[in-house]
Amino acid sequence: MSEKIYALLLRLYPSHFRDAYGEAALQLFRDRARDEKGFFPTLRLWLDLLGDLAVSVPREYRHVHAALLAASASQRLGGPPSFFVLEDESPRPGAFFFGGVLTLLALAGFSMGINQAGSYAGNVTIWSGESRATSWRPSVAKASPFESRWRSMLERLRISQPRAWQMKPVAADRAMKGAAGAAMKLDAAERQLVIDGAIANVKVHYVDRDVAQKVAQALRAHEKNGDDNAATDGGAFADLLTRQMRDVSHDMHLMMVYSESKIPDRRPEPTPEELAAYRNAMKQDNCTFETLKILPHNIGYLKLNSFPDPSVCQSTATAAMASLNHADAVIFDLRDNRGGHPKMVALIAAYLFDHPEYWYNPREETTRQSWTASPVPGNKLADKPVYVLTSGSTFSGAEQFSYDLKMLKRATLVGETTRGGAHAGVFHRIDEHFGMGIPEVQAINPFSTADWAGVGVEPDVKVKAADALEAAQKLAESNLRKK
Amino acid sequence: MPKRKLDPLPSAAFQILLSLAGEDLHGYGIMRQVAEQTGGRMRLGPGTLYSSIQSLLEENFIEEVEARQDVRLGHERRRYYRLTSAGRKLARSEADRLAGWLRVARAKKILRGDYV
Repeated sequence: MSEKIYALLLRLYPSHFRDAYGEAALQLFRDRARDEKGFFPTLRLWLDLLGDLAVSVPREYRHVHAALLAASASQRLGGPPSFFVLEDESPRPGAFFFGGVLTLLALAGFSMGINQAGSYAGNVTIWSGESRATSWRPSVAKASPFESRWRSMLERLRISQPRAWQMKPVAADRAMKGAAGAAMKLDAAERQLVIDGAIANVKVHYVDRDVAQKVAQALRAHEKNGDDNAATDGGAFADLLTRQMRDVSHDMHLMMVYSESKIPDRRPEPTPEELAAYRNAMKQDNCTFETLKILPHNIGYLKLNSFPDPSVCQSTATAAMASLNHADAVIFDLRDNRGGHPKMVALIAAYLFDHPEYWYNPREETTRQSWTASPVPGNKLADKPVYVLTSGSTFSGAEQFSYDLKMLKRATLVGETTRGGAHAGVFHRIDEHFGMGIPEVQAINPFSTADWAGVGVEPDVKVKAADALEAAQKLAESNLRKK
Repeated sequence: MPKRKLDPLPSAAFQILLSLAGEDLHGYGIMRQVAEQTGGRMRLGPGTLYSSIQSLLEENFIEEVEARQDVRLGHERRRYYRLTSAGRKLARSEADRLAGWLRVARAKKILRGDYV
């Protein structure tokens, strides 16, 4: 046992010494251990050994270093760069292993850093077409209205890769955690900067000039009263400013957000490669039209996992709708759909009406575009019963589809309450950690004073998401029998 | 390999040279001989012993001779070391140097005559 301990201690010496004298040192240890038995001799032996280690280990290393310096000094003055080998034996296999592990860790750290920095790249311009304010994005988990919008803001900024569009909530979750940590300590200068930035942005961008003026005055008044001085935590400060702005504006879409990770200065334009990759991904996934079939009793079933960019997927969408054209009822399965492009949402909805229908989108100004392009020539679905399957993951654009059809009494929603993401503001960066969501458009909601933001869309028939298809089928069948 | 400075000669190296003056010894033998000749005051640990041996070998003050068993210590083969003539010369000059200091010490009446 004690020999093993000493063998371990010998590893403290440089390898050249171990190789030359390691075995001899162990032998000497064994000799002494054999000859010096008893408590005190053993104690003395170990004291000797430890004292010896303390003196001789540093000396061995010092000699190696001195020798290397002496060797390299004369050669470094000219000529090509060269490497000096510390040891004259080959590295041990363990050294290669640890070197490999270290390299992987460094690479992983580097790529994580890059992802973090690049994660705010401008999906908005990639996926939303003409309007900055029209891109539906996935979000995560049920949350307060504030939190939900806040997440949406971040998401709209962060999704840069076409695959991210596949509505994986993981990345958003990570962003959320980062921001929730809110470890940054604020000082008076930072608070001042954020308040000034908020006032300037609200005055320039907010949809209603009078309200903007009131918000600006309120923020300034709170600042003068010293109401903000206690806030040293980024997240809490953002929350405080949000409350101050909402108190006077009563606008739930107006908000200050804090991000622990840095918000980049500009949104980079999508590169042709990114666009090509998106097209490729869509092609491979059949534009996320996952399943298209006719169920018993001639019920058409479409499982759609997003609302893809019509400029890429329009033909897929029209083909899908055409193949449902002769169905007696249609079930849209949006249980795994976390949103996408409002234009695709409206494009599919157009098949369900025989006249232009006002198609509410909380993030677009009410224009001529706000009506569906109905009727679609040759389409026979306009008077067929429609069922929409929802789950707690159904989000954003998929919620718009569900909400509008429900409000228009055009579909029966079956499943669970949706997640509740309807970010209506446009994000404006204030500094590296603060930004704000400002509604820049006035969308008319003809149905209600509140949309699904933060609360989700309630289904007409509440069942577990897993049972939704069966329930909808039964409903459709009994409905068809009545006819 | 790194060169070790043996100038001034460390006392451990000097004692190792002295221990080898009478016969060829292996590491443990040197250690015991040094302990004996210093009245137990210097017990060389393996690190100090072998780094000193390494330095002395590099400077050719000692040499390694054929490894063999020490029947008193079992069947393991051991590396034996022998003093070279350069080593003997070095040990002598070191002893002379110390003797010189000793004379000084005696002249200063720090030492009484009966010590050396």
